[in-house]
Amino acid sequence: MRPPTPQILALGGGGFSMERDGSVLDDYVLSLSGAARPRVCFLPTASGDADHYVVRFYRRFSAECEASHVSLFRRDQGTGGVEEDVASHLLSQDVIYVGGGNVVSMLGVWRAHGLDEVLHRAWQQGIVLCGPSAGSLCWFSEALSAFHGPPQRVRGLGLLPYSNCVHYDAEPQRREEYHRFVGDGMRAGFAADDGAALHFCGRRLLRVVSSRPQAQAYRVQARGHGVVEIPLEVAYLGAGVDLAAPCASEVAA
Amino acid sequence: MSAGADTEGAADGRRLIFAMGGGGFTMEPSNPLLDDFVLGLARAKVPRILFLPTASGDPTAQINAFQARFGGHACVPEHLSLFHLREARRSLQDTVAQQDIIYVGGGSMRNLLAVWGAHGLDQMLVRAWRQGTVLVGLSAGAMCWFEGGITRSSGPPEPFAGLGLLAGSLTVHADGEPERLPVWLAAVRSGELPGGWAVDDGVGLLFGGGRLRRVVSSRPGAGAQRVDAIAGELVRKRLEPELLGSEDSPRALDEDVQELRRVQRLRRDILGGGNRVGER
Repeated sequence: MRPPTPQILALGGGGFSMERDGSVLDDYVLSLSGAARPRVCFLPTASGDADHYVVRFYRRFSAECEASHVSLFRRDQGTGGVEEDVASHLLSQDVIYVGGGNVVSMLGVWRAHGLDEVLHRAWQQGIVLCGPSAGSLCWFSEALSAFHGPPQRVRGLGLLPYSNCVHYDAEPQRREEYHRFVGDGMRAGFAADDGAALHFCGRRLLRVVSSRPQAQAYRVQARGHGVVEIPLEVAYLGAGVDLAAPCASEVAA
Repeated sequence: MSAGADTEGAADGRRLIFAMGGGGFTMEPSNPLLDDFVLGLARAKVPRILFLPTASGDPTAQINAFQARFGGHACVPEHLSLFHLREARRSLQDTVAQQDIIYVGGGSMRNLLAVWGAHGLDQMLVRAWRQGTVLVGLSAGAMCWFEGGITRSSGPPEPFAGLGLLAGSLTVHADGEPERLPVWLAAVRSGELPGGWAVDDGVGLLFGGGRLRRVVSSRPGAGAQRVDAIAGELVRKRLEPELLGSEDSPRALDEDVQELRRVQRLRRDILGGGNRVGER
C-alpha cells in the first residue's frame, strides 16, 4: 500500500527524454510509487503535446507500467490519449510524469483546464509527481525560465516553497542569472544540473540522486549582500548505493 | 471631407483582420488562393509574415507547411514557437512588433488564449494591430479576434470568449464540422453569444476598421451566413462570397489599383443596397 506522502522528483534535466538506455532516474521514480506495475501518466503539455515525445514516453514505460498520456491540445481527435474525465484519470495514477518544454505556456494551459488544482490534489494523495526542466520548475513557488529573450521570474504551482533553476551546468549564464535573481529578492531555492534530481518528501528535500557521476545540485540563497551556493550531497544511482530509506518516516514537516 | 470621415476611409486599409472558417496552407495544401489574398492585404511590397501555430502546440508539420507555402513568395516568412526551445534569444515583443502580417493557425481556442495570456502575447498582438499589422487566422485563430466562438478544446463544442477586437461572434467549419453550428445557433438565440457569422471551410471574412468589408472564397459553393437573434428568433442571412482566382490575383496588381477596387466595391456595397455584406 502506498504511504500517503506527497513526493516530487524534480530533474534538472535527464530521464527518458534526454538520456538513452532507460535512465536510472526513471527507474528511481518508479521505485517511489511502491507499486509492482505502476500506473504512469505522461503530461507533455510543455512541448505542445509533441507526438515524438509521447512516442518516446510509451517506448520507455509501456513494458513495465500501465502507461497513458493526457493531451490538452488534441482532446477531440482520438489520438489515444485520455479524453473523457482527465481529473479522475490523473487522480488514479501512481506517477504523473511531466515533460519538458516551455513552463510558462504549460502553466497557462494547465490553469485553463483546471489541472493546477488537480495536480495539487494528486500530490496531497501521495501520487508521485516528477519531470525534467519545465517538469521540475512547475512545482516550485518561483522559477527561472529563459525562453524568449532575457530570463524571467515565473510563478509556479507553489507546492514546494522555494525557487528552482534547471540545466544548471548546461548553460553557463543560467548560474549567473539565477544568483542575480536570488540576490534581487527571489526566494531561496535549489539548482540542479542535467542528470541530477531533487527528491522532496512533503516540502522537505530528502536527497539528491543522479544518473551521471559528475552531476551536482545546490542550495542557493541570499546571505548578507551576496548569494551563497551550497553543494548538496548527491547519490549517484549507477554506483549501487542503498536508497532503501522510506520517505514516509522522514516527513514530519 | 471631415477628419472623421477621412479616418473611417483610411480604416479600410488599416486595422485589418481576415478570419477564415478553415482553409489556407494547413487545410488546403494545393489551393493557394486564400494565402495569396492574405499577402495582398499588406501594404508592403515584400511583407514580413509571422506564423503563430500556438493553438496546435507548434507542430513541426504546420511550420513546414507554412514555409512551403510562403517560402517561394515575395515575403519574409517566419514562425514564433511558444513551446519549443531554439530561437530563444529574441524577445516576443520585438518579434511581434516588426511584422506586416500575423497569421494564426487553428487548434484549441482555449489553449491558444491561455498560452497567449500567460506570455502577455495577446496585448502585444492588439498593439501591433493598432499600429497597422494585419491579423489573419483560421478556425481557433479566426474566432479568437471576436467576442466569442465555439471551441472543441475540451471535446464537445461549447461557447468560449475571445479577445473582442471585433464585435459579434464567429463559428467556423460550418460545413466541415457540422456539430458546431447548432451549439452556436443555440448560444446566439439564448444570448450567451452575440449575433455573428458562421463561415464554411474555404471562406474568409475581411474586416477593416471593425466592419465587414469583403467575403472571399477559395472554393465554389462555400459560403457564410450572418445570424442575429431578434426577439428570441434567429434571423439568418446568407452572404455570397467572391470566388478568388476568377479574376487576376490581387497580388499581381499595383497598390493603387487594389485601393481603387476596394473603394469601388465598398461604394457598390453601400450604394447598390446589395445584401452581400450589408449586415449592419
